[in-house]
Amino acid sequence: MRQNKKLKNIGIFLLFGGPTLIIFSAVIVIPFIFGLYLTFTNWSVATGDSTFVGLSNYFEVFTDKDFLTSFWFTIKYVIACLIFANLIAFFIALALTSKINGQGLLRTGFFTPNLIGGIVLGYLWQTLFSQVLPYLGDQYGWGIFEKSWLGDPDKAFWALVVASVWQLVGYLVIIYMAGFASVPKEVIEASSIDGANYFQILRKIILPLTIPSIIICFFLTITRAFLAYDINLSLTDGGPYNSTEMVSYHIVQKAFLSNDYGAGQAQAIVLFMAVALIAITQTYILKKREVEA
Amino acid sequence: MKLKRIVILLSIVLLSMLVACSSNSSTSENDSNNNSNSGDNSNSNEEQSEDVKITFFNTSAEVNEVFENLFDKYHELNSNVTVELIPTPIGGAQIEKFQSLLASGTPATIANLDAGAILQYKDKFLDLESDREKYEQLTKPGTIDRVLLDGKFLGVPWTSQGYGLLYNKRAVEDATGESFDPASIRKRDDLATLFEKIDAAGTAPVVIHGADWSLGSHYTGLGYALQSQDVDENLAFVEDLKNGEADLSQNKQFNGLMDTFDLLKKYNLRKDDPLVSDYNLDSTAFAKGEAAFYFMGDWTWAVIGQLEGRDDEFGVIPVPISNNPEDYGNSQIAFSEPKLFAIDDTESTEAQQKAAKDLIEWMLTSEEGQMAIITDMGLNMPYENLLAESPNIISHSVDEYVNKGDVINISVMNYFQPDWWSKVGASMQKYLSNNIEREELYNEFEDYWESSK
Repeated sequence: MRQNKKLKNIGIFLLFGGPTLIIFSAVIVIPFIFGLYLTFTNWSVATGDSTFVGLSNYFEVFTDKDFLTSFWFTIKYVIACLIFANLIAFFIALALTSKINGQGLLRTGFFTPNLIGGIVLGYLWQTLFSQVLPYLGDQYGWGIFEKSWLGDPDKAFWALVVASVWQLVGYLVIIYMAGFASVPKEVIEASSIDGANYFQILRKIILPLTIPSIIICFFLTITRAFLAYDINLSLTDGGPYNSTEMVSYHIVQKAFLSNDYGAGQAQAIVLFMAVALIAITQTYILKKREVEA
Repeated sequence: MKLKRIVILLSIVLLSMLVACSSNSSTSENDSNNNSNSGDNSNSNEEQSEDVKITFFNTSAEVNEVFENLFDKYHELNSNVTVELIPTPIGGAQIEKFQSLLASGTPATIANLDAGAILQYKDKFLDLESDREKYEQLTKPGTIDRVLLDGKFLGVPWTSQGYGLLYNKRAVEDATGESFDPASIRKRDDLATLFEKIDAAGTAPVVIHGADWSLGSHYTGLGYALQSQDVDENLAFVEDLKNGEADLSQNKQFNGLMDTFDLLKKYNLRKDDPLVSDYNLDSTAFAKGEAAFYFMGDWTWAVIGQLEGRDDEFGVIPVPISNNPEDYGNSQIAFSEPKLFAIDDTESTEAQQKAAKDLIEWMLTSEEGQMAIITDMGLNMPYENLLAESPNIISHSVDEYVNKGDVINISVMNYFQPDWWSKVGASMQKYLSNNIEREELYNEFEDYWESSK
């Protein structure tokens, strides 16, 4: 009888969980394990060679100057995105939850960029930065837009940040709004009766109570910004002169353009570790600050 | 307890998948063995009616549809042969897809690839030595020599392109007020004088497309090809660079090429914002006469041809690299067969390879094939006695050089690493935007070669 029940349980699990498990294994687990194996070989399609080379690919990761440059560039990009996307999203969400007319319309408006794929969005902003803005800059003498932002390494960095933030904000706004909605009204009312002004309420009541939303938003921003590829490809294509190569872009180039799969895959693993470590630490630190009303 | 169960379940799923995979591959190996056996048999029995299915991997993504129609037509004529197109996205992951097909043991029977890519995978392709003589007769003189890779005939050329300084006749003549004879530009000073005149009339003399492929591959690539008319000597020069034995700053060809680049840079339409590199925008500016010259090739007709309100007369002149008209390169334009049809020799059966050879020959010699390539795709074919005429005005001008044999053989570039153009292109972009001096540019080139050993 017991045996039977156990079997039945497994059967039910397989019925519901099986398909997902198979797909998950096929597209995540197996490629990941195979990828890990690749990093220890010098595999190449052209030669069919896959000699075991030990850890040398990992040594190459840290001696590849371009990889380190692109990693540092990505970190700067992540920090900029993290600050701007979350600040902007936080205040937009705050404004939208206070009783503004046309809230629904605004919410849709802010969310729409998120529905545009990264590639399309990149081309859109490319046209803006390299044609529309320089044209306007010329017409009205705005010095900052006279030249294309994409032709200068520093400005191209900010072009990437602007486009990414524009895309991210809509999504974050929705999460922050959900967070604000869950702040109990009684607490806010009670504090205002106690004489707290708006900023005190914001700092002492709303902010601590929306920590869970902030955790999610930070996590999303960090992981998405670290792994950004499509916008990098379509907006700057690594240019001008490879100065805006982000780490994912560099890995793809390394593996497929330079035909160095082992080293490229090793870099991908290092990136994975770094992102996982940063994202987990971030969540852990913020979790400690979580409070309940 | 729960965790344990999940782990067990997960491993069961994984194991069963592995088993499924391995059993699959073993059966497919059997299949292919059977196929090759039957292929042998059919060949010896001369059985024509046997059905053959071949695949065609296409990296000329912008003409996927034309190829598809052509294959349908071929199937109507040869009902036993079915050709399936494996398309790739324009400018997207093309070589990645080729690699994954190869790695998974399902390569395409025919691959339309860049010559350099074929060289990289040379062991995977069929040696077409037995057809070499046939194609030597079909193509224009010198074509087959240019497409040999490591001395082997691995890919059949089907399209050709030439590049240099394109000119817009109307724009030049309007600016100078006199008729323009392209043959009058025989050295750098001639070009400088002409640019000065055009500039004085308020027209931009030239537009440089600031993309890495144009600067890195097409422009600096000339430097290696111009070392000598012999590709082996070009390769020897590159070998010297890799060993750190060649000094670019002492190299006549490179210095000449960069002196001309400085001239182009000075008169560049985009000199205030040189790295925008919007291909459509630059081609349009040239076609409408905003700039009189354009460093580009005849392929830009794909953009220019369809423009409204463009000028009508275009042509190409060499990029002069010195003030001696006799120097190699001052009266020649760069010309190459960039894409080749290669036949897989790893998994394809003999019947498939035979069908592939027949299909390629039909595409290149039949009227349907030539019409499709020349008229529908707008490309040029390096073949004799063509049955279709190209609407591409620039390529007519290119043909004049080809027919005189005034071409620079740039096939040395096929031997470079695939990341070459992107790396040196980045250095050229820095130079174009005045971020580095020539000395640093040469250092970056030399560093690239030394690191690519």
